[in-house]
Amino acid sequence: MNLFLNQILAIVWKDFVTELKTRELFSAMFIFALLVILIFIFSVNLSVVKASEVGPGVLWVAFLFSGTIGLNRSFMLEQENGCLMGLMLVPADRTAIYFGKLISNFIFLSIMELFILPLFMIFFNIDILEHLLPLLIVIFLGTLGFCALGTLLSSLASNLKTREIMLPILLYPLLIPIIIAVVRMTGQILNGEPLSEMMNWIGLTASFDIIYIGVSIMTIDHILEE
Amino acid sequence: MNPDAVEENQEEGNILVWLTGLAFLAAMIAIFIYVPTERTEGVIQRIMYFHVPSAWLSFFAFFVVFICSILFLWKKEREWDIYAQASAEIGVIFCSLVLVTGPIWARPIWGAWWVWDARLTSTLILWIIYVAYLMLRTQCDAGSMRARYAAVLGIVGFLNIPFIHFSVLWWRTFHPQPKVITNEGIGKGMDPTMLATLGVSLCAFTLLYFLLMGVRVRQENLKDEIDRLKKEKLYSS
Repeated sequence: MNLFLNQILAIVWKDFVTELKTRELFSAMFIFALLVILIFIFSVNLSVVKASEVGPGVLWVAFLFSGTIGLNRSFMLEQENGCLMGLMLVPADRTAIYFGKLISNFIFLSIMELFILPLFMIFFNIDILEHLLPLLIVIFLGTLGFCALGTLLSSLASNLKTREIMLPILLYPLLIPIIIAVVRMTGQILNGEPLSEMMNWIGLTASFDIIYIGVSIMTIDHILEE
Repeated sequence: MNPDAVEENQEEGNILVWLTGLAFLAAMIAIFIYVPTERTEGVIQRIMYFHVPSAWLSFFAFFVVFICSILFLWKKEREWDIYAQASAEIGVIFCSLVLVTGPIWARPIWGAWWVWDARLTSTLILWIIYVAYLMLRTQCDAGSMRARYAAVLGIVGFLNIPFIHFSVLWWRTFHPQPKVITNEGIGKGMDPTMLATLGVSLCAFTLLYFLLMGVRVRQENLKDEIDRLKKEKLYSS
């Protein structure tokens, strides 16, 4: 078990070192998310619609789109110079590769989200500080589900001919349930409702996370196989 | 494949063709002549006898994709991959039919082509998932990789159905409630003649599914055979 954790940590650490050296991914994700929010602000008339009604949707679309950039990078980077082959030759379980990638994707996306939230608060004039804890729980559950399924499909898409195009096409329809859930929950939280009012949505999101992590553990061997 | 087996397959196929043809003839007679016109909705209601069987057929086809995908990853036999592909193609066709017949009915009855109701939304999402599945198949070269990737997506996609169902159900719903299986028991919510017509139509569509599956699987097998012969004859001499 200890060995398994060490293997996962080694992969996460490798991704972090790469990111610290190149600084390509994080800045791109952050600026892209910011642009998505700006474009949405220009496309809806905020003096007509209530900010707290469109806000959650805009926020999650920004997370989703910039998260896709991160996912696209995560396995495609490994394709260059045959790094993925090197990873697979390591005497480690394939699930360790999956969990390593899942954790590094999750951490990158979470950091980006923490930077976006204050900007969202300023642009939409929504005070999120009073509901911060429930909001963070929802963001945690949503981001975990996105990364669980996204990492699996990203490992799959990286071997296709048109990888950048196929990942969103495969991923977005499967993410619709979780998008509906997190947007609903974020909206209700910003309206001041407690988490106990939306246990059905939390159950849906949590079981989505658990089931897709489980499915990924079972199927990752068949994807990373050469 | 030896010639006898081919002939036997052909004969079975012929019987299925006749059965499907007869079932569809019966279904057409039942739908257009036998069954009375519904009182409030009028003649447009007859589209239900195509709509509901198509929906049943596409869900059944996607379930077969799911089962065959699991079996493929387990056994790694080419035939399960062929079954999954054939079933996904048929499922997408009938899911498209559901999405076409639905708005035709909805326009006069609801006054709108499309509403964001739970069942409509989930059918649309399902359609997109399996179109993406078929696109994935065109993106890889034939072989073990394509089969494995498609199988993973077949499993992931089908497991998504309960999540789609509940999320869009809690989101909103105003589709007509199911009439055949209701809280009062099976078949209480509908006139018996309508139920019978729907039953015949369901049978006809189910037979059609197996007929199409047979044709598609035979076609894929022949393709494999041609590939094999090509390799053998081209590279051996």
